[in-house]
Amino acid sequence: MVGQKELNQCFEDCKDQLKSYVLRITASVQDTEDILQDTYIKAHEKLDTFRGDSSLKTWLFAIASNRARDVLRNHKRWPENVTDIAKEAALSNPGFFKEAMELRHNSGQGEFEIKEHIAFCFTCISKSLKLEAQLVLLLKEVYDFKMREIAIIMDTNEPLVKYHLRAAREKMVKIFDHRCSLISKQGICHQCTELNGIFNPEQKAEAELAKIDMVKASENKDRQHLLDLRLQVVQNIDPFKSGAAQLQLHHLEHNRKVMESFLKENPS
Amino acid sequence: MRTILTFVTIMTTLSTTAQQTGASTVKTTFSRETSVSISIQADPSIIWALLTNASDFPRWNSTIIALEGDIAEGEKIRLTSTLDSNRTFKLKVKELQHEKRMVWGDGKGERVYTLEEKTPGMVTFTMREKIGGLMFPLYAKYIPSFNKSFEQFASDLKKEAEIIQSAKN
Repeated sequence: MVGQKELNQCFEDCKDQLKSYVLRITASVQDTEDILQDTYIKAHEKLDTFRGDSSLKTWLFAIASNRARDVLRNHKRWPENVTDIAKEAALSNPGFFKEAMELRHNSGQGEFEIKEHIAFCFTCISKSLKLEAQLVLLLKEVYDFKMREIAIIMDTNEPLVKYHLRAAREKMVKIFDHRCSLISKQGICHQCTELNGIFNPEQKAEAELAKIDMVKASENKDRQHLLDLRLQVVQNIDPFKSGAAQLQLHHLEHNRKVMESFLKENPS
Repeated sequence: MRTILTFVTIMTTLSTTAQQTGASTVKTTFSRETSVSISIQADPSIIWALLTNASDFPRWNSTIIALEGDIAEGEKIRLTSTLDSNRTFKLKVKELQHEKRMVWGDGKGERVYTLEEKTPGMVTFTMREKIGGLMFPLYAKYIPSFNKSFEQFASDLKKEAEIIQSAKN
């Protein structure tokens, strides 16, 4: 029998992971805070129904995932070219760079790092996956859950988890192969280096890129391996606690608002 | 009476069975039916997921260029295939029995997918399409053979389902 004390301890232990997981699903700081609070309350209310079929952590992730799915049920998925659309919107909005520059210079978490932007970009692009596929990809490759645990979290079976993981990985490989200039000479998106030029004008992007394993391995023909290296970058960044958190959360909030308008104007 | 008998004889002679490796087609005067079956070593839920996630089809199925819509009973879907890349077929999902049977169709024909788990983890997938009607003889010659496309569909499904099945836990 698990008591309130153990639940509180488990919640405290995995709160940061839960928070970043929900942010990556919703792209909204406000929704993340609300879902985390709902998860805590529901876990306490339903603790007597916890049978120990999984770990408490898995159970908490299941509650948070269900809540996030409820919140996003009627939301459309983002397009693959989300960063192009958001870039256009940012360029036509003088307030965007003004606010970002203020954060860059005044916030303790306003650094710009290419690695952070890679993780931010991953969050945006992964919202073009089907929601189930996005959740499975995050749970397996970023939060290191086993297939069996993911099946419990998603209330499905292991073969379906395998299906969603495969579909998610293949789609992400294809999108980044087409878009990301860090791994592909034909890549059409250079936003991370462009933004590095704006926020870190003194810094040489090449020197920063040389520190990133994914970029170093970009000649590698194994695109799945490059995705694994990208996922490692994501795994190692806490979007709320890193030195670049405020700046990247500002970008994410901007992209989410742009997407909400875009999807309203383009309903098909 | 003699004229009718002659007509029936001619029509029966024209009915043929075309068999290629895997797919087979049975032609009659007013219809044509192509079918293919293949054994797949995978959980039925994987095969079913592949067959019911419309936007994911072009990723694994080399015969499908695009499939839009929601594959749910009563829903309309829009299919563009390599058989005729210039046409988009508007089909209705007429029947859906979870992990067992699915029927897509329009006024000219129906495509039926069936899954049968003969032993645990071993599924026989069958795809059958019948097109026809009173006007069928007038346009039959313009419709390409489905055999190769059906074989490719079944082969792609088997390959993808078995790759997913064999993924590590």
